[in-house]
Amino acid sequence: MNVEARARELEPIARELRLRIVDMVHAAQSGHCGGSLSAADIVTALYFEIMDLDPERPDKPDRDRFVLSKGHAGPVQYAALAMRGFFPVEELRTLRRLRSRLQGHPVAGKLPGIEATTGSLGLGICEAVGMALDARLRGGEWRIWTLLGDGELDEGAVWEAAAAASKFRLENLTAIVDRNGLQNDGLCEEIMPLRSVPEKFRAFGWEVLETDGHDMAAVLRTLSAAAAVRGKPACVVAATVKGKGVSFMEGVRDWHGKPPSDEEYAKAVAELSGGVAWNW
Amino acid sequence: MELVKAKVPTRRAFSERLSELGDRDSGFAVFESDIGRSTYSYLFGDRFPGRYFNMGIAEVSTMAAAAGMAACGRTVFVCGYGVFLTMRAVEVVRSFICYPNLDVKIMSSHGGVTAAIDGVTHQATEDIAFMTTLPNMKVLCPSDSASARGSVEIALATRGPVFTRLMRDPLYELYDAGERFELGGSKRPRRGSDLTIAAYGDMVFQALEAARLLESRGVDAEVLDLYSIKPFDREALLASVGKTGALLVVENHQRRNGLAYEIGMALLKERSTARFDALGLDDTFAESGDYAGVLEAYGLSAARIAETALRLVADKGRK
Repeated sequence: MNVEARARELEPIARELRLRIVDMVHAAQSGHCGGSLSAADIVTALYFEIMDLDPERPDKPDRDRFVLSKGHAGPVQYAALAMRGFFPVEELRTLRRLRSRLQGHPVAGKLPGIEATTGSLGLGICEAVGMALDARLRGGEWRIWTLLGDGELDEGAVWEAAAAASKFRLENLTAIVDRNGLQNDGLCEEIMPLRSVPEKFRAFGWEVLETDGHDMAAVLRTLSAAAAVRGKPACVVAATVKGKGVSFMEGVRDWHGKPPSDEEYAKAVAELSGGVAWNW
Repeated sequence: MELVKAKVPTRRAFSERLSELGDRDSGFAVFESDIGRSTYSYLFGDRFPGRYFNMGIAEVSTMAAAAGMAACGRTVFVCGYGVFLTMRAVEVVRSFICYPNLDVKIMSSHGGVTAAIDGVTHQATEDIAFMTTLPNMKVLCPSDSASARGSVEIALATRGPVFTRLMRDPLYELYDAGERFELGGSKRPRRGSDLTIAAYGDMVFQALEAARLLESRGVDAEVLDLYSIKPFDREALLASVGKTGALLVVENHQRRNGLAYEIGMALLKERSTARFDALGLDDTFAESGDYAGVLEAYGLSAARIAETALRLVADKGRK
C-alpha cells in the first residue's frame, strides 16, 4: 500500500486518539491536553505503522522501544497503547486515580508497553541513549524512538545526551521533537529562545529531518527516512500545533495542563467526532 | 591490634574487583563521567572496552543513560565522585533508578571528608543522607581492600540499586582477603565491655585508635564496623549495646540524617536505656586541608572520639 493510502487509514485512528486524550483528561479532571494533542499524529504513525510491536507479547525481546521523554503527554501514549491492544480502552478513564496503572506520568513496569519511567523533562532522551547502547551490545536490530517537547530542550541534559548519541554513532536511535512552540509559561521563543533546533542537532552530529507533524503522509515518510539513517542518530523536527484538533485549544498556552470543563469537553468531542454521536 | 598500612585506596580495590569479575560475568556494563583515571574504572575499560562507556563530564545524563540500559535488563555500574553522583544526579537516582528498582550500582568515590585536600565542593558529606532516604536503595561503606572487594560482590548479588561509598586515599588493611561480607552484615574488629563505638568507612580506623587511647584510661571499648549502612545490622548493634550500656556512633558525614539518626530511633523503639551520643559534622561544612587536620578540626579524630566516649562511660551509672 502506498504512503498516501496508509495515511488515509491512519487519520481516523489519530482522531480517535485525540478523542480519548480529551476524554481521559476530562475524566481525571487533571492532565495535559495541549502537548498530547500536538503529538497525536506522530504517535499514531509510530504505534500503528512504524514500530515493530506485539501487544500479545509486550516484552518480546526484539521489539522497538518508545520513550516518551515529554512524559506529561502520557495520555497520548496511554491512548495509543490501549487502542493498539496493550490493555483495555476502558482503563483509560482511570488516569491519575489511586491504584491506577495509568500514573500521572508513565512508569515502567506498571503498564504493558511502557519501556521507561519519564516525566522529569530532559531525561527520557538520556534513557533512550542507554537503551540504544544496550541494543548494540546485544547485536539487536530494533530501534529506540524518543519524543521530546520543544520546551524540554531548555534542559541541559538533552544536550549531554545529544553529544553522547553522536559520539557512539547511535544509528538505532531517533529523537522526535514535537515543535509546538509553546511551553508552560508561554511561547518557547519568549521563555528561552531555542534559535534553530535543526542547526543545533546538526552541530551535535545528528542527521536532521523536518516535517509537518500533522500531515500523516509526510510524518510516515519522514519517520521511515529517519529509520534508514546510518552511522549517526537521527532527529526529526516536527512542526506542530499545541492542542491540535480542538479549535479552542489550538495554540493557546492555557491548555498546557488544564482539564476541560463538562461544557468544553462536549464541545471538543463534538468537533473531534465530526458532530456524529461518538460511541465510546 | 596492629593495623597494616594500605597500599591502595578503597576506590581502587573496588575497581580492581570489578575488572576481575568482568571476566566471569560478561553481562554488566560500566559508565564513567570522565574521572575514570581517578575512580580507576579505566581498569575495567582497558579490559572490556565494549562494555565501558565514558559519557563525558555529564553526571545527570550518565546516570539516566545507565537507567535506560538497566531498564533493558542489564546491570550497570556508574562510577564517579560522591558529590556529583548523589547530589547533582540525585533526582535521576530517585525517579529513574530507585522508583523502578533497577540494577544500577553506584560506585561513589571521595566519600565524607576523605577528599579533604580538595575542599567542600569535592567532599561528599551528605551522600549517606540522600542515598539512605531513597526507597529500594541499599547503602554500603567498606573501610579496606577486602571489604571494598566484598562490596562489589554484594552489589552484583543484590537485586536493585546499591550505593557504595569509597575513599580517596589509602588508609589501612583490616580484614583478611578471605573474609565474607554481606548485605545487612557487620564486623566487630574489637571486643570490649564498657562502651560500643559504631562506625563505617575511614571512621572505623579512628574508632580503633580511640579504643587504644581509652584502654590507657581503663576503658574497654568495643568497635563495630557497620559497613552495611542500609540495611544495618540491628541485631549485632543491639546485642553489643545491651552488653556495654553505652553507644557512640561516629560518621564521616553530617551528623544530621546520618546512620546515627537511624540507630538512635532504633534504640528509642527498643526502650534502650543505654547512654548515646553521635559524632559527625555538626551542621557545618568542612574545608580544605590535610586529612588528619580536617578530622581533628571538625571533631572526627580518635582523640575527640575518646574524649566523648569517656564522658559517656562516666555518665553510665547516672539516672
